[in-house]
Amino acid sequence: MRGITALLVAVLVAVPPATAMQAHAAGDEPGEYLDRRVEIWNLFFRLMVVAFTIGAIVSGTMVWQVWRFRESNPNAKPTPYEEKGEW
Amino acid sequence: MYIGVVVALLVWVGAEAWNVERLVEHVPEDAEVIRVTGQQWFWTFEHEDGTTEVGELHVEAGKAYKFEIVSTDVIHSFNIHDYVVLMDAVPGRVNTVWFAPTEAGEHDIQCREYCGLIHYNMRATLYVEEPAA
Repeated sequence: MRGITALLVAVLVAVPPATAMQAHAAGDEPGEYLDRRVEIWNLFFRLMVVAFTIGAIVSGTMVWQVWRFRESNPNAKPTPYEEKGEW
Repeated sequence: MYIGVVVALLVWVGAEAWNVERLVEHVPEDAEVIRVTGQQWFWTFEHEDGTTEVGELHVEAGKAYKFEIVSTDVIHSFNIHDYVVLMDAVPGRVNTVWFAPTEAGEHDIQCREYCGLIHYNMRATLYVEEPAA
């Protein structure tokens, strides 16, 4: 619980300054307008990088679990039920 | 720990999306207003100086434009695909969206909300011209 709180606090502390910096970058000067194509593409790109990274970690973990805990793995330890032949 | 990571990621995703939406929706103060009227099945554009165009829109590169989008009949959706401009035209409402064309060229404008028989051909052309000297 303490870890969750610490993470939440870290995110909430880190996000507002970054937001404020970007707000100043969005100029109202003629010829220096914000390009919505760039902003929207960048958001999409960042979120996709995160999504694919997390997807790779999650699916990699699942593949590893299936490989590591397969019945034929030399390191596999039979469950109590398997040992007793009860299954 | 795992819940913390997930919550932190969700907060981050939400904050990023909220921030970009806020930036994109902030209309520059000097944006020129263009009133866009959608009706079955064509677009009408009215500039600040009273000039009206039907089926085509002429703007200058390097300037900001704010579209005030209305509809006189059914729901349409005003879309300039090349500039990622998309906003519904709803009867009884004025929806706004802005953009700033960067270089001269021709771009398609089309309706993105099915609005009846000729919806597929409810198109217009955006002409971005070099700034007047």
